[in-house]
Amino acid sequence: MIKELNIDVKHVTRVEGHGNIVVNARDGKVEKVQWQVPEAPRFFEAMIRGRSYEDIQTIVSRICGICSISHSLVATKAVEAALGIEVSKQTDLIRRLLHYSEQLQSHVLHIGYLAAPDFFGVKSVVPLVGLAKDAVLTIVRAHRVANEWSELIGGRVTHPITLIPGGFTRVPSEQQFRHLEQRLRETMADIGAIADVVHSVAGEVPAFERDTEYVSLRESSVYSFYDGQIVSTDGYTAEIDDWESVANEYVVDQSTAKWAKWHRDSYAVGALARFNNNFSQLSDSAKALAGRFGFKQGCCNPYMNTVAQLVECAEIAESSLRIIDELLSVGVVEEKVSVKPRAGVGVAAVEAPRGILFHKYEFDGDGKCVAGNLCIPTNQNHANIQNDFEKLVPEIMDQGQEIVRQRLEMLVRAYDPCISCSAHMLDVQFVGGESES
Amino acid sequence: MSDEGIGGFIIERLAGEGEKYENIDFVDAGVGGINLLHYMADRRKVILVDCAFMGREPGTMERFGPEEVKSVKKLAHLSLHEADVLKIIEMARQLGRCPEEIVIFGIEPASVELEQQLSETIAARVDDYVAAISKELVV
Repeated sequence: MIKELNIDVKHVTRVEGHGNIVVNARDGKVEKVQWQVPEAPRFFEAMIRGRSYEDIQTIVSRICGICSISHSLVATKAVEAALGIEVSKQTDLIRRLLHYSEQLQSHVLHIGYLAAPDFFGVKSVVPLVGLAKDAVLTIVRAHRVANEWSELIGGRVTHPITLIPGGFTRVPSEQQFRHLEQRLRETMADIGAIADVVHSVAGEVPAFERDTEYVSLRESSVYSFYDGQIVSTDGYTAEIDDWESVANEYVVDQSTAKWAKWHRDSYAVGALARFNNNFSQLSDSAKALAGRFGFKQGCCNPYMNTVAQLVECAEIAESSLRIIDELLSVGVVEEKVSVKPRAGVGVAAVEAPRGILFHKYEFDGDGKCVAGNLCIPTNQNHANIQNDFEKLVPEIMDQGQEIVRQRLEMLVRAYDPCISCSAHMLDVQFVGGESES
Repeated sequence: MSDEGIGGFIIERLAGEGEKYENIDFVDAGVGGINLLHYMADRRKVILVDCAFMGREPGTMERFGPEEVKSVKKLAHLSLHEADVLKIIEMARQLGRCPEEIVIFGIEPASVELEQQLSETIAARVDDYVAAISKELVV
């Protein structure tokens, strides 16, 4: 019987941003279990004050280097809501297609580069190359297609530059959409190959369940990533305009990031939440993929979020092909956009890869932003991660400190948290050089 | 982050003179470290220009190959944003997707504080950096 645990992980690797895990147990009794976020606040809501409605999506896209398209899209939609702008059917479809590219990019990246090393028992994707080179090459290929797809529509891979209130500065040609269609068909085969690899290590997914409220968007006609009503697996619904009374953000001592709760003391967002709320709207191939894993609606195992992302990859490819067909069947045209500023408040939501994302802005009569409120998915998951920790640690502490640490790290990674984005740079010493110590 | 943006600044300058160079793509690789894998794939030679802590005088630019340095980045590979360029190059080699030649130009920053402009030290030397790097671009 293990009686002592002293876990102090600073910081958890293979997540975006900085998060710590602290566990102390003495005499077989858990004294402290904490999921901590020590990131400094970034004050984007202050940065946008005084800026023109035209600049908002460009600034807030810098919140994240993985889900910059989601931030740009939701900001553009919120600005349009504030200014009373309706967009064309073509704009709506191409934006959805752009959004799908990011979902695929992010999911493949999480499954392949961040989560897979846990399943194969290695520290990162670099040593994974030695163990499963073909699998890594498939991941790299699918990720590259998603990147090129984002660049085609957004103007660059991350931080899109073609999105403007009212539409796009330019849209791809029909020939470019046909080429994308071909690449997507090839990628569907790669998603199947990735599913084979994940299935071969599915036994490594820990068996853990905790009854949870899952929250996501829902649209009437499609498995939603882009719009809709806020829904919960507890049976509640809310309009996007009322998101602040859904998230109910609050602060806690152990975290610089805000926490959220709706009907219980926490809720979860992300791929598993979407899967649990909107399973019936998945395509046949996505449902079949879920079936291979015995993965059913109502699953309360947070580790299965990674499998939910895999299921969504199949959904994304199929839905994207449908949109391209629709665009090509009516023809793609360049559309002129004319926008006039006015005073107003606008709210919008999209499903970022990691879950529901809310933006709210207020503008004065000149179109200058006077206030903003943004709520990212990872902040909505922090309290739920803490609650998972509190149930999981007593259940597995007999397995020893190393297993507890590994399972907790894996759990955090399963949520695919995007705690913060930062710039990167080289930090080197010259081999044998004078600055080497 | 002030001088941390020097890479993008130089690429913009070089891309603006693009007609001077043949068969060269100028890519602002942003901050998405792992994307370097895709940018480097199927190329003969890659030249990386970035801000680098090298223990040199601020403003110094060094030309080196990946094998000439070792990373001392404390948070290397913590996440995909902290992906270490040297690790990505190693991974590209293992995958058989690495260019034959990689040259890195590292520029020692004077400031990486929260600023939208380059520091005076770095801004004053941009012409020198561009001139030195452009020599590398002539085959």
